[in-house]
Amino acid sequence: MRDHLLLFINGEQREVRGGDAFLSVSDYLRLRCGLVGTKIVCSEGDCGACTTLIGRPAANRQQLDYKPVDSCIQFMFQLDGTHIVTVEGLRRDGTLNAVQQAMVDCHGSQCGFCTPGFVMAMTGLLEQQKALDEPTLRSELTGNLCRCTGYTPIIDSGLKCNGADHDRLAQLYPAAPMLGAFASTGDDELRLETTSFGVQHVACSPRTLEEALDFLAMQPTATIVAGATDIGVRANKAHRLPPVILDLNRIAELEAIAVGDGVFRCGARASWTTLLAAFRQAAPAFARILQLFGAPQIRHVGTIAGNIANASPIADSLPFLLVMEAVLVLASKSGRREVNINQFYHGYKKLELKPGELITEVRIPLPAESELLQLYKVSRRRDLDISGFTAAVRMQLDGDAIKQASIAFGAVGPTVMRARQTERFLVGEPLTLETMQTAGDIAVNEVTPIDDVRGSAEYRRQLTRNVLLKFYYQTQSQLAAV
Amino acid sequence: MPSVGQTIPHDSAVGHVTGQAYYLDDMPSMAGELHVAFVPSPIACGTLTGIDATAALAIPGVAAVYTVADIPAHNMFGPLAADEPFLADRELLYVGQPVAIVAAESRAALHHGIAAVELKYSEQQPLLTLEESIARERFLGVERRIARGGEIEAELKKAPHRLSGTFHIGGQEQFYLESQAAIAYPGEDGQMVVHSSTQNPTEIQTVVAEMLGVGFHEVVCVTKRMGGGFGGKETQAAIPAMMAALVARKTGRAARVIFDKDTDMCSTGKRHPYLVRWEVGFERDGRIHALKYDYYSNGGCSLDLSPSIMERTLLHSDNAYYIPHADFRGRICFTNLPSNTAFRGFGGPQAMAATENILESIAQHLAIDAYDVRRANVYGVTDRNVTPYGQIVEKNHLPEIFDALAASSQYHARRAEIARRNANDPLTLRGLALTGMKFGISFTSKFLNQGNALVNLYTDGTVQVSTGGTEMGQGLNTKIRQLVADEFGLDPARVRLMATSTEKNNNASPTAASASTDLNGAAAVRACQQIKRRLKKFAADRLSDKAEGLTPSPRHIVFADNVVYDTRRPELRIAFGPLCDEARRERVDLGARGFFATPGIDFNRETGRGTPFFYFTQGAAAVEVAIDRFTGELTVARADLLIDIGRSINPGVDRGQIIGGFIQGMGWVTAEALTYNDKGVLLSHSPTTYKIPAITDVPIDFRLSLFDNDDNVQNIRRSKAVGEPPLMLGIAAWAAVKNALTYTSSEAATSLNLPATGEEILRCLSFQVPTHPGSPKTAYQA
Repeated sequence: MRDHLLLFINGEQREVRGGDAFLSVSDYLRLRCGLVGTKIVCSEGDCGACTTLIGRPAANRQQLDYKPVDSCIQFMFQLDGTHIVTVEGLRRDGTLNAVQQAMVDCHGSQCGFCTPGFVMAMTGLLEQQKALDEPTLRSELTGNLCRCTGYTPIIDSGLKCNGADHDRLAQLYPAAPMLGAFASTGDDELRLETTSFGVQHVACSPRTLEEALDFLAMQPTATIVAGATDIGVRANKAHRLPPVILDLNRIAELEAIAVGDGVFRCGARASWTTLLAAFRQAAPAFARILQLFGAPQIRHVGTIAGNIANASPIADSLPFLLVMEAVLVLASKSGRREVNINQFYHGYKKLELKPGELITEVRIPLPAESELLQLYKVSRRRDLDISGFTAAVRMQLDGDAIKQASIAFGAVGPTVMRARQTERFLVGEPLTLETMQTAGDIAVNEVTPIDDVRGSAEYRRQLTRNVLLKFYYQTQSQLAAV
Repeated sequence: MPSVGQTIPHDSAVGHVTGQAYYLDDMPSMAGELHVAFVPSPIACGTLTGIDATAALAIPGVAAVYTVADIPAHNMFGPLAADEPFLADRELLYVGQPVAIVAAESRAALHHGIAAVELKYSEQQPLLTLEESIARERFLGVERRIARGGEIEAELKKAPHRLSGTFHIGGQEQFYLESQAAIAYPGEDGQMVVHSSTQNPTEIQTVVAEMLGVGFHEVVCVTKRMGGGFGGKETQAAIPAMMAALVARKTGRAARVIFDKDTDMCSTGKRHPYLVRWEVGFERDGRIHALKYDYYSNGGCSLDLSPSIMERTLLHSDNAYYIPHADFRGRICFTNLPSNTAFRGFGGPQAMAATENILESIAQHLAIDAYDVRRANVYGVTDRNVTPYGQIVEKNHLPEIFDALAASSQYHARRAEIARRNANDPLTLRGLALTGMKFGISFTSKFLNQGNALVNLYTDGTVQVSTGGTEMGQGLNTKIRQLVADEFGLDPARVRLMATSTEKNNNASPTAASASTDLNGAAAVRACQQIKRRLKKFAADRLSDKAEGLTPSPRHIVFADNVVYDTRRPELRIAFGPLCDEARRERVDLGARGFFATPGIDFNRETGRGTPFFYFTQGAAAVEVAIDRFTGELTVARADLLIDIGRSINPGVDRGQIIGGFIQGMGWVTAEALTYNDKGVLLSHSPTTYKIPAITDVPIDFRLSLFDNDDNVQNIRRSKAVGEPPLMLGIAAWAAVKNALTYTSSEAATSLNLPATGEEILRCLSFQVPTHPGSPKTAYQA
């Protein structure tokens, strides 16, 4: 049993214990290390000013893979065995790195407050060996907000770095000594404790699923943390941490992805970044939605089980998972069971998940070639925005007639819902505009939207009708193209 | 080589990219420093009957709780009238209003302490909407008016065509990334040093001194830089600064106030929402004959800068267009919201959006292209060139700008293409608009048009410059660095701009109104000129050679390329550094303070006439949008900007200001919606719910050209102000949405308000479904 974290910050080894292990990464960097280049704006992973690079040992255990992460919604206890690189750690012998120099040359900064985050995000792209062309920069920098520049000078800075061969972090910070230090800690269980204002906090980071289930059996009400992209926000805004935390970050077996027999299988901790890459082949329509899911900094750490278990009525992955009849594997000390995701939600944030149970795997039947599938995410801003309305429409045609229909709507009720009456009506009908108009009449009576900050109930009812019409026009142009 | 006109990096760029440029919360904490925050009012309107801090004070680490009773002298403050409380005094005015201050040893203790303070109050019905405020005549200040020509009702009747309407314009959060912040350090004998993230150090010095009841000479305010300001730190940095100062005074310990983003958005003012009632009479070709405006701005709970903002609204109701008969009136409405305040454009954007809306409506009514309507109304060069307030639009380039942009953006060819595509595309609806912009440069309060600067020359030939202007990212310090470098013929690297401090630059105006380079740059140049006069005299003696007949002649002395020489014998040079060293040894004063006051401006508030502006910055934007017909989702597909900023001091900085300003304006008119509930609680109080433009919102096809212009001779190095004007170019994105809606039905376009969010667009689209072949036959009203 180890009572401290072992990690590196800008190449320097650190042991973190007690209350420090429960700080957000950005607080630890700013308050304990004096690394104030990492800026705090929103404390909710929505602006990217706090972006740092987190290096984790690669599968081959030969190198570290660095990914940009929002450090304000990561906890230190998630980062055992990692190397954190901040904006202060990029210079080599006082020389700016390529991204830093380009940002200076291209007027990529004005007030400068978002700048460290952009520098880290773009340095992360170089680390991941992505091309810094305009489409990539636009899709990979959605997690960083800038209020001054209008982004164009930042894109120019990225373009200036494109194509050339740049120094990698491995040259600045050789991986071998760090990997050696991590290996020396062995596979011991990690348990961190502290007391704050009379509340005892425990965070346990087991190595295996078995150990995790043992811990859950003892602590059935523990808060389960993988990416912490939801719990981190809640902790920041309420200024309170959950007392008992089960951290899944060290359990490698929960990360696996496999596709076979028309089914996509993934471990609970599969990150949205890996899923996005895998779904580009497996289900391009879903990949397009995932491209709008959070931002790279969120997708690098956010997990599929996290999105499912957080049970938000506006969770971006759920309409697809519902119409695909995804199956969840739930495990506890007393055994495993499988639940169709359509039976998983009983009400607002009420789950078919018993105390002591953990989602370990998600199995998603993939759409057949012949099926029609359209997914919708409507939000105030296209990228890095929580949905105001979501939908999935899946159909199987038999000639002109609809043989099967599955429709899910999000943000129109306490849970993401299936429009069962609409589905029943559609079966046997011809796929025409009139049919979809009638379907809209039925669907609008199935949904129960409310007015909130992301839209009025009336707007959501209108969208409920309109996506069904849009589906018709989209499929018409698709069928015409075939 | 002269530096002015060159693109050199921002003077803090290396600090920005390495994380070394420090902001307030990056300053190391002093021993014993306290963390400070406030207990907010939970209600929008009511009476505070008690504050119980017993439980809070019992929490380990909570050092103190202060209320209005603890304020040494003044609780009421405000830039135009002292009508705003620092801490709530019986009356609760808005949700998020500071009621009590908590100081604690740690942030954890601070949050526990805030939660433990108990407020007792009785609640009343809040006043939250403009309509209600107008109905109950709850106005702040007096009605303001600018009018010219005949009696407006009669003139409206004379016109062959008339339209009228009501236009709703939403507010906008500044969303500077660095939230409001201040640190106060108590000094000896009642003195105080306050570091503030403010555009207005003099105001911070003043309000802190008045609150503490000490002379202004006991308080110093220092501003190194802001992580963005945009107007939101012109007056509203005051409350956090006073909080820090009060705690520092009471405890004798340093005190740090760092608002989190949610607190900042809930408790500080924003761009004013407006309700605009308008009536226009126009000719058959679309030329405006008479225009009547009744503006109602949402001032929030106190005046703040609202009267000055309304004044700028009235002064920009013409935008780029000649209005022969005008009657513009404005009133400020009280509501139970945080007092609305300055934001880039300062009342100008609302007026210009209202007028662009009318021009689109005229085009739609007459069924002629909106470009032709605008072109017919644009200010003339020799006639039709007098504003409604009597200022002549001199050196007017608007007609050339319109023609050039219409040609370079291929407006007419794209218009035909859009009409064709809209008739055939069942999924996407397109629109295009080309709007103009004319923005007056100067504070409309004459006395604020002054700047001062302190220039210190050192004996190695390097220079430190301090001005009353503050750096918030706009590049003020970079431009002044270039101006000063050129005066002495030095590399810019030899000139360093220092933190702004009231100790060095007293009685400074806020860094606002786009005029800070004009004012402070000119002041810095004047300081340099004083030093140069002394140095030239010294160098003339030093370089003279009586035996050779070379008599001392200061007017032949030149400073260039880091050396000094006499033009009559250019081969004999002294390096600038050694010259400074020698000059000091001969007791030559190597420091100076410069002062500049803008000449020739005057405006009579009572008559609404005069010459309020030193000059105008002008431009135009052509924007194309694509709308999802079923969801209302908007994509700004292409933007072409053409803007006259005179001779640019730093094209790289100016390009950044223009693009950034345009995108900020585009955000205001599209996705940036402020949402409140019926209790006056702001629901969109962080980037999760308040959506400023992201990188993918930048038009894929984005073209910016500078209009080549050398004639702004009255301003420093023939430059023009660039801070605010580009924001108003963003209005073209909104006009393009309105234009797109005209392809579906007239009702759809008529009712579009601002911002054009997806929901607002879909509401308009739902009046009638698309008119392409095979479209649904019935309109869907949910």
